[in-house]
Amino acid sequence: MLQIMADGLIMGSIIALGAIGLSMTLSIVRFSNFSHGELLGWGAYLALVASTALNAMNTAWAANVGPFSFGWGLMLSLLLACVLTALLALALDRILFKRLRKQGSITLVIASFGAALALRNLLLFWQGGIPRYYSENLQIAMVLVPRSVGGGLRVTPDQIFVLTLALVAVTGLHLFLRHSTLGRSMRATALNPALARVTGIDPERVLRATWLIGGVLAAIAGVFAGLTVQMRPTMGVDLLLPLFAAVILGGVGSIWGAVLGGFIVGLSESVAVTLVGAEYRSAAAFVVLIAILMLRPRGLFGETH
Amino acid sequence: MSEFALHVEGLEAGYEPGLPIVRNASLTVTPGEIVAILGPNGAGKSSLVKAVAGLVPISKGSVWLHGRDITKTPAHRMVFEGLAFVPQTENVFINLSVAENLELAAAIVQAKRQSALEPVYAMFPDLLRQSSLLAGQLSGGQRQMLAVARALIAKPRLLILDEPSAGLSPLLVGQVFAKLREVRASGITVLLVEQNVKSALALADRAVVLVEGRERIVGRSEDLLNDERVAALYLGRHTGKQAAGEQA
Repeated sequence: MLQIMADGLIMGSIIALGAIGLSMTLSIVRFSNFSHGELLGWGAYLALVASTALNAMNTAWAANVGPFSFGWGLMLSLLLACVLTALLALALDRILFKRLRKQGSITLVIASFGAALALRNLLLFWQGGIPRYYSENLQIAMVLVPRSVGGGLRVTPDQIFVLTLALVAVTGLHLFLRHSTLGRSMRATALNPALARVTGIDPERVLRATWLIGGVLAAIAGVFAGLTVQMRPTMGVDLLLPLFAAVILGGVGSIWGAVLGGFIVGLSESVAVTLVGAEYRSAAAFVVLIAILMLRPRGLFGETH
Repeated sequence: MSEFALHVEGLEAGYEPGLPIVRNASLTVTPGEIVAILGPNGAGKSSLVKAVAGLVPISKGSVWLHGRDITKTPAHRMVFEGLAFVPQTENVFINLSVAENLELAAAIVQAKRQSALEPVYAMFPDLLRQSSLLAGQLSGGQRQMLAVARALIAKPRLLILDEPSAGLSPLLVGQVFAKLREVRASGITVLLVEQNVKSALALADRAVVLVEGRERIVGRSEDLLNDERVAALYLGRHTGKQAAGEQA
């Protein structure tokens, strides 16, 4: 049982990071961005390409850091992937979504389907369809709780790294949204764009920040997914439905809602894999989603106007 | 035009191209006065002030603020031009605290927190007591006070309010309007849209009656209080003081 929960929390932290960006796009840019999942895939592969290049330049960077399966090369690549994925998200907006914004949200949603297809196939063309890993080294899981207690708990150092850094990222974002002027402007714009404008908030600046932050979080989630599972060009579309489930479950526009939604979806999937089989993984998350929406139609932390 | 706080000339504005809600409207507001825009439902009052504030696209005409052409100024730049706008509904950020609403407005115009907030809290002491509450937890009257306070943070020269009495009890309307008198006394020009004719005319120095997107009657408030045309416009078949009284 403990193992199921730990696996669920680790997967949940990855879903949560992706879901936050999706939730922000939904509440601030005001459309369902079906290409958001692809940003996770691009983030993961950009980090792979960067770490391969960095490790080749300096073999010391390829050496494992402490108990982890990766070296400083991947750490630096994660930062690089964050920057590049954020710029990719911003470029998508500038090239595609900004031009269509006046056409309404339906047009934007359809355009995002097109963008998702284009991004996924570009990635497939560039990197091929074979699953990839950041490290070929086999990591031995540490026994945190013996098997006699609740079935035992074993986690790898990489999984602890993922969970810790995800919490740090979410807390950092929370502090940014709570205390910085730009963060407050983003919260204000999400709630009431017209009032935000007459207050003096530049809507374009808020939109830029939304795409950049969404891109950064997507890259982190993508790298974490690559680190704990594997990388495939279809990883974005595979994660898209859990991301949407987490956003709706937590309540659109709520950061902590997306986090909690991510954890619930991750846990549901983990329980389903153990109890009824991996083929029911996604179904379990959606059963939980339906059950919660019947009780709270706006999600767990949805704004009530 | 620089002698006017606001000068609107032949304004045509609407959300859809070719379908103007405001048609050929003109308006002048001199510095230091309170002007009310009156008119029946659908007359285009709110659209007129929203167009002035940059929220409704303008297709014809011009808007001048203290001699500066602001016709093409986007809504988010208006506070930097000295124009603050208080919408009729949803005029506070309900997911931010009272203090956060005011601090955000101060930060946007890069005002020092203490020097920006102190005079506003002095004018609205209740807001200081409720500063940690979420704006969504305030009553209708308190929200209206917060909305006005939020607008004043930017130290505007012209304050525009869209139906500040909407949804408020007569007692609260009196309190809000008393604050607007204080605002004017501090040197800020006030332009407001109102449905509540009697209260608006009691507050304003002058009023403009708008019908079908055009201004029809302009005059001093005390004259319009007894103007039969105003009553006729509001209630159709009724005229005179009786009609004005019913509407109020």
